[in-house]
Amino acid sequence: MSYQSDEFGLVPEGGYLTIYIPATTGAVVFRVKSRVNKGYEVLNYGPLPISSGTSLPTYDGTSTTVPADGVLPARAYVRDGIQFPPIVSGTYSNTDMWHTPEDEGDRLYHVKLYVYPAVVRVDVQVPSRVTQGRFQKGRVITGVDSEFGFGRGFIEMVHMPYIQYGYRFGNDTNLNLKTFVRFVYGEYIVEVPKSPELIFEVLSRRVPSYWLTIPISYIDPLIMETFRRVYGFPIRANTPQLFRIYRYDERDRALREYAEILGQLKV
Amino acid sequence: MKWLITVYGTASPTGSGQSGDLTLTSPDVYGNFTLIRVPKGLKAKVWAKRLAGTAGFTLQIQVSDDVTASAPTWYVVDSEHLSGAGSLELEKRRPIVVQARTGKEGIKLSYANTTGVGTIYAVVEVELTDED
Repeated sequence: MSYQSDEFGLVPEGGYLTIYIPATTGAVVFRVKSRVNKGYEVLNYGPLPISSGTSLPTYDGTSTTVPADGVLPARAYVRDGIQFPPIVSGTYSNTDMWHTPEDEGDRLYHVKLYVYPAVVRVDVQVPSRVTQGRFQKGRVITGVDSEFGFGRGFIEMVHMPYIQYGYRFGNDTNLNLKTFVRFVYGEYIVEVPKSPELIFEVLSRRVPSYWLTIPISYIDPLIMETFRRVYGFPIRANTPQLFRIYRYDERDRALREYAEILGQLKV
Repeated sequence: MKWLITVYGTASPTGSGQSGDLTLTSPDVYGNFTLIRVPKGLKAKVWAKRLAGTAGFTLQIQVSDDVTASAPTWYVVDSEHLSGAGSLELEKRRPIVVQARTGKEGIKLSYANTTGVGTIYAVVEVELTDED
């Protein structure tokens, strides 16, 4: 637990959350005004939403069939990222419990996904069906279906409105794994601080903030649209102009740029 | 990352001198299996062994460097013997560690030198981890 995060690794009220996007060489700084689900952060989801009978590719170059709901077959992986259908009714989407529409820009879902057994490989596509794991300027695509570019048992993401992510899982053991997913999440009410000076101080790491890098190495048009439509970030050369990280001696230039961006933001 | 998998094996020899591989089950695994393949970069640590059954039951832990071979070569890394009918629990010992260097390494449980008939049971706790 620290000033930047609590015992769940979530941002406390009044704290800052900095989302860094590698492909933009920029970040978005949010201030968490409130945490709606404080005290109720754990969501025991259940098995992975993969249905019996689904055909999955294997690491051995063949395909296999899911033998029962929620079972990740031996040596199999999920090629196209999946969403988590809601376990309660009434959500915006009946196929993706973390999806919200673009006019919900003041909400962010900070999601820590734990999948059991922890040996399961995991990565995320942003947006769904766009693999972001890249090596050597994109010459190689990495991820759960590759030799590297994945984690095991855990992944942390921030779900923004409008865009949908696709989670992928892989099982390189020889066992048909019965899976289980637990989310630890925070539903934040957020704002972007209106002070260029504060944003500069956060991005200079002089003001404590919880930093999270969303693995975006390729700017898909849907990513661009998300930052433009939901938050109002300007677009230049097909890339959203987020708050770039400057050296301290470039402070004046940074403040001018941040002020220009802030003038266009909606949140 | 670590995953502790409890593996249950059983066999029913019908005479003395029989041997074979144990068919395994686990609450975390759908269906039966006969070996655990260790993903590349991970280690398998065998922490605990429990044996039960008839006198003469010997449990062997065997390791192969390549379970994908058409006829894998297995070597015995541990052997526990039940001298009398009953049970034997071996816990909190130094683990048997199998480092997966290629991702083709595997572990299986076998029984051997059975002097009698009846059902034999083995329970083994295996940890898959990327930690030392």
